[in-house]
Amino acid sequence: MEMPKPDQTIIDRRSQIINDLHSIVPGEGLIADEGELKAFECDGLMAYRQLPLVVVLPETTKQVSQIMAYCYKNDVKIVPRGAGTGLSGGALPLEDAITLGLSKFNKILEIDYDNRCVTTQPGVTNLAITQCVEDRGFYYAPDPSSQIACSIGGNVAENSGGVHCLKYGLTTNNLLGIEMVMMNGEVIRIGGKHLDPSSYDLLGVVTGSEGLLGIITEVTVRILRKPEIAKALLLGFESCESAGDCVAAIIGAGIIPGGMEMMDTFAIQAAEDFVNAGYPRNVAALLIVELDGPAPEVEHLISKVERIATNNNATYIKVSEDEEERLKFWSGRKAAFPAVGRLSPDYLCMDGTIPRGQLAYVLRQMSILSQKYGLRVANVFHAGDGNLHPLILFDANNEGEMEAAEALGADILRLCVQVGGVLTGEHGVGVEKRDLMGEMFTEEDLKQQQRLKCAFDPGHLLNPGKVYPTLHRCAELGKMHVHKGSLPFPDIPRF
Amino acid sequence: MVPETAVLNDVFIGKLRGIVKNRLSTARSVREQHGHDESYHASHLPDAVVFPTDTEEVIDIVKVCAEHGVPVIPFGTGTSLEGHVAALRGGVCINLMEMNKILEVNAEDMDVRVQPGVKRKQLNEYLRDKGLFFPIDPGADASLGGMAATRASGTNAVLYGTMRENVLAMEVVLADGRLIKTARRARKSAAGYDLTRLFVGSEGTLGVITEITLKLYGIPEAISAAVASFPDLKSAVNTVIETIHSGIPLARIELLDEVQMEAINKYSGYDYPVKPTLFFEFHGSVNGVKDQSIAAQSIASELGAADFQWATRAEDRARLWQARHDAYYAALALRPGAKGMATDVCVPLSRLTECILETKKDIEKSDVLAPIVGHVGDGNFHLVLVMNPDDPEELEQAKELNRRMIGRALSMEGTCTGEHGEALSVMIALKTTLDPGDIMNPGEIVDLQNQ
Repeated sequence: MEMPKPDQTIIDRRSQIINDLHSIVPGEGLIADEGELKAFECDGLMAYRQLPLVVVLPETTKQVSQIMAYCYKNDVKIVPRGAGTGLSGGALPLEDAITLGLSKFNKILEIDYDNRCVTTQPGVTNLAITQCVEDRGFYYAPDPSSQIACSIGGNVAENSGGVHCLKYGLTTNNLLGIEMVMMNGEVIRIGGKHLDPSSYDLLGVVTGSEGLLGIITEVTVRILRKPEIAKALLLGFESCESAGDCVAAIIGAGIIPGGMEMMDTFAIQAAEDFVNAGYPRNVAALLIVELDGPAPEVEHLISKVERIATNNNATYIKVSEDEEERLKFWSGRKAAFPAVGRLSPDYLCMDGTIPRGQLAYVLRQMSILSQKYGLRVANVFHAGDGNLHPLILFDANNEGEMEAAEALGADILRLCVQVGGVLTGEHGVGVEKRDLMGEMFTEEDLKQQQRLKCAFDPGHLLNPGKVYPTLHRCAELGKMHVHKGSLPFPDIPRF
Repeated sequence: MVPETAVLNDVFIGKLRGIVKNRLSTARSVREQHGHDESYHASHLPDAVVFPTDTEEVIDIVKVCAEHGVPVIPFGTGTSLEGHVAALRGGVCINLMEMNKILEVNAEDMDVRVQPGVKRKQLNEYLRDKGLFFPIDPGADASLGGMAATRASGTNAVLYGTMRENVLAMEVVLADGRLIKTARRARKSAAGYDLTRLFVGSEGTLGVITEITLKLYGIPEAISAAVASFPDLKSAVNTVIETIHSGIPLARIELLDEVQMEAINKYSGYDYPVKPTLFFEFHGSVNGVKDQSIAAQSIASELGAADFQWATRAEDRARLWQARHDAYYAALALRPGAKGMATDVCVPLSRLTECILETKKDIEKSDVLAPIVGHVGDGNFHLVLVMNPDDPEELEQAKELNRRMIGRALSMEGTCTGEHGEALSVMIALKTTLDPGDIMNPGEIVDLQNQ
C-alpha cells in the first residue's frame, strides 16, 4: 500500500503549524506529544499505522472553519476522524497532515418529535441517538454492529448500514441534513428537517464521501417509531444454495424483512461456542429472518416465511418466543466477528456486495478460493441485500500469510465485481480497497468522480491518498475556468 | 417568445446529419413542440431536434456540440411542470423517446435496466405478469429518463420514496461526450462518490442519461384505497398528520382542496363531494391492510370526515388515482385557454397545517384561481395557479402569490423547488467543474452566465 509522498516542507514547518493551530484551538484541543499521538495512529484497519503530524480536536464549527481556512491558505493536508472505528483505513493519518478529530462534538442538539428528527453533533455515537429517543418509542434505524462506539458523523462519511438496512435503508436514506465546513473554511448547510429540495443532491454526494469533500459539523437524521412487534426466525439448511434460494424466494414473495442475515457452518460454530445463541450446529447455513410491524401482519408474515422455508428444504425452523429469545438469536450474529476472532490470531473482514441472485455461485467460488490459498474463510452476511462479510483467518506471525490473506481478499472482491457487484457495501474504500477501484470502475468513471472532488477541494488537501488509486491534478482532469460565463472558443460559428 | 435564433450553421448541421441521418429536424413546428413543457413557462425553441436510437449516437451528438460550444437539451416526454426543457440559449434538443427498450429484467434481484425513453406505464405493463412493479408515479405518463433527471416523486413516495431511492445506477454521456457508469446493480455500495445521486435530479445539466437501472418491488398481496371528504381543510390536514404520527404505514395519502375536487368532477365526470378531500392507499397482507384501513378511518372520523368510500377492486382504484393524476389538467380545464404555474413547497410536518391554511387564506384574498393538491405525507404540497401568462397583471399577481408562499415555507424551515440556499457556491463549482463549457441544458439549476 503506497501512500502519497509526504511533503517535507510541511514536516519542516511542524512547530510553526502547531503554534498557529494553538491560537485557534487552545489548551488540550491540540495534541503534539508523540506518546499521545500514538492513540491516533490507525483506525479499525489496524494493519496500517502512521503517526499524524499533529492532532487537533476543535469544539466549535467556528474553530473547524478557522482550521480549514488556515490549512487552505497554507497548503496543509487534513485527515478527518470520527470515532476511529472505520474498517477500511479512511482515518489513517498521514505524516504531513493534521488529523482533525471530532470527538469533542459530542452533544445532541435537538430532539424534534413532531418532525421525527434528531439534530446532533457528529461525534455523538450511533446508539446514543436511539437511546435519547427510545423512552418515547422511537429509534434511529441504521445499526452498524459497532453502534456503541461509532459516531454519526463517521456513519455519514462512510454511508454505514447494519442488519436492518434491508428494510430501512442505509445512512443516506435516513439522513435529512448536515452542516459542513468546506476546505476553504466556508460553512454550508445542506438539507434540513424537510424533504430535499430540487437541485443537485449534495447530501447524497457527501454521504459516503469518506472525508474527501468537507468536514461535517452537524447532522440531522430521521427517527422512526419502533415497530409494534418484532420476531425473528432461525432457519437451518443443509446447503448454502438452499439458504440462498430461500432468501430469493422470501424477497420474491414481496416480503421485506427488517433484517435477513446468513451465516455458514464455520461462523455458526464459532458464534455458538462464544455466546450460546441457541443455533443448530448440524446445519450448513443458517438464516436469521426478522419481521417487524403491527402484530397481525408479523404473525401472517411469519407463517408465510415458514412455508417458503419448508419449500426450500429448511431442516430447522424456530420462531422467537419472546423479546429475550429474539435478542439471543441476534447476539450470535452480532458477536460473530469477535467469535471468529477467537479462533485465529488475525482475520481480514471483507465487504463485497453482489446481486442477490449470484449468492450460491459466489459462495461456491469462495470455498474454491479458500482451498486454493489454504486459508479458512468464515461467512456472515447481510443476505437480503447481498452484502457479504467473508472473514479470512490467518496468522500474521507465519511468514507470507498476511500477504496470502490480502491476495485472497482481493480475489474475493474481484469475484464480487465480476458478477455485477461492488467492492464495498458499507465499510468504504479507504486505503484498504483503494487499489482495487480499477476493477470496478473504468478509468473514465474514476476520473469523473475525481472531477467532482475538484469542485469541493481543488488542492486535494482533504484526506489525500484515500479511495482513489491515482491522484490526478484538477487541471489534468480537464477542469476549465469559466470567467463570468464566457464560453470557450467564443469565435466558433454558432447558430 | 424569444426571437428566432441566428442562421443555422450548415457545417454543424451536416455533422449531426452524418450521425442521425434523417432523424433530425429544424422545422419550426418540431422545434416548437420541443421548446416547452406543460407549464406556463415561455417557450424557448431549440435550433434543431435530433432523435438518436442508441448511446453511440448520443455520444457523437454531444461530442459535436461540445466541439462547437452548442447547448444540449435532453428531452423526454415534455411533461415536466418546471420549464426544465426550455432551450434558454437555443442549441440541440436530444429527444430520447426513440431509445425506449427495456433491456434486462432481473426478477430475482428485483431490478430492471431500461433506456431513458421507456415510459412508466409501459414498464409496469411489461412487468405485470412477473408480479413486479415500479412504484414512482408522477401525474403524467413520463419517461423514466426524465423522471430520473428531475428526481420525480409521486403519490406513493411516503412508502416507496422518490427517484432518489429507486435508481440503482445510470449510464451517462458527459458534457464532452465521454460515457460513464455511475454504479452497479448491487443494492448497496460504499465505493467512491455517489454519482448516481448527483445525476438523479440534475435536470440534464451534467450529462445525458442513456441507461437507467431501477429497483423493482413485488406487487403487494392486498391493496385498498379510500376517499374521505372533510368539513374543512384543517381537519383534512390534521388527519394526515395524525395518521402518520400513529405509525400507520400508508402507501399513499393525497390532499385535494374543494376547488380541485370541483375541477376533477367537471373534468372526469365524477360526483365526489366538493369538499377538502383525502385519498388514501394501503399496501400489505390482507389482514394488515384491513387493520390499517380501520385505524385510518377512525382517525379521520374523529376529526370530522363525513363519508368514507372504499375501493378494493383494481379498476376502482385505477379510476380513483387517475382522477388524482389528472389534477393538473383538470385545474387548467377550469379556465379554457389558461396555462398553469405549478408551485412546489415542502415544510416540516409540524408546520404543514399552518402553512396550508395561511396559503389558502392568501389565495382567497387574491383573484387567482389556485387549487391545492399535495402528497402531504412528506410535507409537500402544490398550487396550480391557473392564469393567462400573456396578461402581465395576472402573471404578476400569480408570481406574487407564489413568492409569498415560498417565503412562508422558508420561514417555517421548509424549502421550495429551485431554492439552493447556502450551498449555491458548491453547486456552481460542481457545474463549472463537470461542464466547463456550460453546454448541458444551460441556465437550469445554476445559471453560470448570470453568476
